[in-house]
Amino acid sequence: MTTAPLDKAIPLGRLRLGHSAVFWLGFCAVTVLLIAAPLVLPEFWRRFLTEVLIWGLLAMSSDLLIGYTGMISFGHSAFFGLGMYGAAGALLMVSPPNLWLAILLGLAGAAGAALFVAFFSTRLRDIYFAITTLIFSQIFYVIIFTWTAVTGGENGLIFTRPHLTIPLLYNARFTSTTLHWFVLAVVAGSYLILHRITQSPFGMVLQSIRENESRTRAIGYAVERYKMMSVMLSGLFAGLAGVLYAIQNEFAAPDFVYFLTSGDTVIYNVLGGIGTLVGPIVGAGFFQLARQLLAQAFGDQFPYLIPLGLVFIATIIFLPQGILGFARRWLNR
Amino acid sequence: MTEKWKEEKWAEDIWYSGKVTRRRVIGWGGGAIGAMMLVPAPWRAAFGAEKAYKIGSEQPLSGAGAAGGKTAVVGLQMAADRINKNGGINGRPVELDIVDDESSPAVARQKTEKLVQEDNIDAHVGGFLSNICLACMPVWEDAKIINMISVCLDTTLTTTHCNRYSFRTYDYAPAQAVAFAPTLTKMGKKWHIAFADYSWGQSTRDAYIAHIKENGGEVVGTTGIPLGTPDMTPFLSKISGDFDGLFGIFFGKDGVTLVTQAYDLGLTKKYKFAGDGSISESTNLIAIGNKIDGFTAINRYIPVFQGPLDTPYHHAWFNEAKERLAKIDPSGPLPDKYVQSNFEALNALKIGMEKSKFQTRADTMKLVEALEGLELKAGPDFPQGDKTIRKEDHQAFPQEFIFTVSGGTYHLIETVPGAKTVVPPACNFSA
Repeated sequence: MTTAPLDKAIPLGRLRLGHSAVFWLGFCAVTVLLIAAPLVLPEFWRRFLTEVLIWGLLAMSSDLLIGYTGMISFGHSAFFGLGMYGAAGALLMVSPPNLWLAILLGLAGAAGAALFVAFFSTRLRDIYFAITTLIFSQIFYVIIFTWTAVTGGENGLIFTRPHLTIPLLYNARFTSTTLHWFVLAVVAGSYLILHRITQSPFGMVLQSIRENESRTRAIGYAVERYKMMSVMLSGLFAGLAGVLYAIQNEFAAPDFVYFLTSGDTVIYNVLGGIGTLVGPIVGAGFFQLARQLLAQAFGDQFPYLIPLGLVFIATIIFLPQGILGFARRWLNR
Repeated sequence: MTEKWKEEKWAEDIWYSGKVTRRRVIGWGGGAIGAMMLVPAPWRAAFGAEKAYKIGSEQPLSGAGAAGGKTAVVGLQMAADRINKNGGINGRPVELDIVDDESSPAVARQKTEKLVQEDNIDAHVGGFLSNICLACMPVWEDAKIINMISVCLDTTLTTTHCNRYSFRTYDYAPAQAVAFAPTLTKMGKKWHIAFADYSWGQSTRDAYIAHIKENGGEVVGTTGIPLGTPDMTPFLSKISGDFDGLFGIFFGKDGVTLVTQAYDLGLTKKYKFAGDGSISESTNLIAIGNKIDGFTAINRYIPVFQGPLDTPYHHAWFNEAKERLAKIDPSGPLPDKYVQSNFEALNALKIGMEKSKFQTRADTMKLVEALEGLELKAGPDFPQGDKTIRKEDHQAFPQEFIFTVSGGTYHLIETVPGAKTVVPPACNFSA
C-alpha cells in the first residue's frame, strides 16, 4: 500500500509545505466546504450529502480492516445493522427519545457483535476470514429477520428522531442543516481518530500484519490480539454509521444487515482507494452520486448497475489504487 | 484563405443568404421556442394551460417485488388515464411520477425524499412491500403529504404506526380473519396454521388464532416457514395429528411451493385446505394447476363475474385491465387485487381532491378532512364495491369474497359485507 512519506515537502508555488501542513490545510478546506454546503444546497441534495457522509463513515471503518490490516470483511453489514438496531431500541424505549443514549446503545450493540465476530474469525486469514465474517453477518440477519417480537422482523422498526441535546445547554429539533452538521462533526471526528490510530505504533503493527503476518508474529507481536482490536475498532465505527443512519431516517430494517451492504462497502473502498481512509468516503460519494445522476438523466428505471459495474471493473484494471490513490499519485508527480 | 470563394460575386447570394448571424439565431431561436410552446402537449389540448397534478408513486419495479410492482402500476396508469380522459381533477390533468424503489427500503427512502423535495409531488399513491411502506411513513408525515397506501398489507400501517396523512382504501388481515373465521369453523373446529415466518405472516396468524377461537374453534398447532424457502417438505412433513383443516398464510411463489408440496405429501387430501387469498392469486394459478382444487380462501378481489362482481362496470374494468396486463406479461394473467387496489386508491384520492378543492400541498389538511370518513360507492371508480374510509384510523373495510378454486377457476361461495368485517380502531385521529 502506498502512502506519502511523512517528511516529504510538497511544493505549492514558492511555498514549501510539510506533509502535515498540507494534510491539515486539505482537511480544513474540505471541512469548511462541507459545513457551507447545506447553506447553499437544496433540501434534497442536503439530505443526500448527509447520507453520503454516513455511507462514507461505514466504508472508512472497513478501510481500517481492508486497507490497513489486510483483512477483507464481508461482515460490516452486521456491525452497521446492530448499531442501527441498538439506536432504534434506545429511541423506542425511552420517552422522550434521547440522542446520546441512542448513540451509546448503538455502539454497545455494534461492539458486542464485533467482539463475537472478532473472537471467532481473527484466527483465520484471507478468504477464510472473509467467508467467516460473511456467515456471521448472515446469522445476525436471520436472527433479526425472524425475531419479530423484538426487531419487528421484515418490517423493521420505525421511531421518532431525537432532539439535538447538550444537557442543560441546548435542546432543539434537528433540522436537515443541523443534522448535516452533526453527522459531519461525527464523521470528521471519526476520521481524525482513525487517522491517528493508523499513524500510531498500533497502526504500524496493523500495517505490518498486512504486509507479512508471519514475520510480525515472529518478531513478538500478539497478532491475534491486534487483529481482534482492529475488527472491534472497525465494527465500532461501522456501528456509529448505523446509529447516524437510524437517526437520519427514523427507521431500522433487516435489509441493512444483509450481506449486500457489506458488498457495497467493499466496492466503495475499491472505487475510492483502499488504505486512504478518505478514499472510501469519495468512493461512497461517487457511487451514490453516479446512481442519482444516471437515474435523473436516463429515467428512474435505467439499469444503473451496468455502467457502474463497468466503472468498477475499469477502476480495478486501470486505477487499482482507486480515485484517491490515483489523485495522490498524480499530485505527487 | 481557404474560404476566399465566399467573397466572389457569384457566391454572395449563396453564402450570405445562409450565413448564421446573431440576428438570425435570435430570430429563429425565438420562433422555435414560440412554436414549442404552441405545440400541444398530450394533455394540453384537453386541459388548456392547466398545470397537471403530480402524483408520486413508489413501486418495486426491480428486485424481489418487481412482478407485483409492475402489475400495480397497471392499475395506477389505468386510473390516471381514465381521470384525464374524463376531464381530470378540478379541471386539471393528472401526471404520474413513478419511481422504482428496487425493493429496498434504503433506496425507497432516497427516492421518496426526491419525490417530495425535487419533484414537488402533490400527493402519493403507492407502496407495495410492507417494510418499505413503513420505512417511508415518516417521509409523508414530515412533509405533510397525503399517502394513499395501495398494496401494503401490514396491519400496523393503520394501527400502531398510523399517521394523519396515510390512508388505506382496502382491507387488512384482522378484517379478513373476522370475515373468514365463521366459515372456517363451519368447515372444521380444529385447525393447523402454516405461515410465512415473518411479520405479515405472524400478524395474520395471530388474527386467525384469535377469531377462530372467538367462533368456537381452535388452532391446535402452527408451523412457521421462512420466507422464500424453496423446499418446504421438511416443515410440512412434520404437520400431522388430530385436526380438521390446514390453513396457509403465504403469497407469491411461496404460495405455489406450499400448495404443490402439501399436495405431494397428501396433506391437502387428508385435511380440509384453506388459506389467505394471496396463495391463489391468478398469477399463481397457472403454476399450481389442479393441485389447488378444493382450496377455500378469502380475498378482497377475485377476477370473476359472480354475485356483486357481475356488474357492467366490473366487466369494463376487467377487460381493460386484462388487455393492459397482456402487454406487460404475454402469458395474459387476469387482473388481481394489486391492480384493483391501485386503481381504486387513485380514484379515492381524486374524489377527496375534488371534495376539498385541493390545489396545492398547502391544501393538504383540507384533503385529509375530505378523505376522513369518505364513502366510496361501487361503480366505474370502485369496481370492487362500496367502502368507507374510517375517520378514526384511515382504514377501509371493503366486502370480502370467500371462494373455492377448482379447474383453474374461482367459485364464489359467500360475500361478506364490509360492515361485517369491522375491527375496532387502534388509533383515533378524530379524538
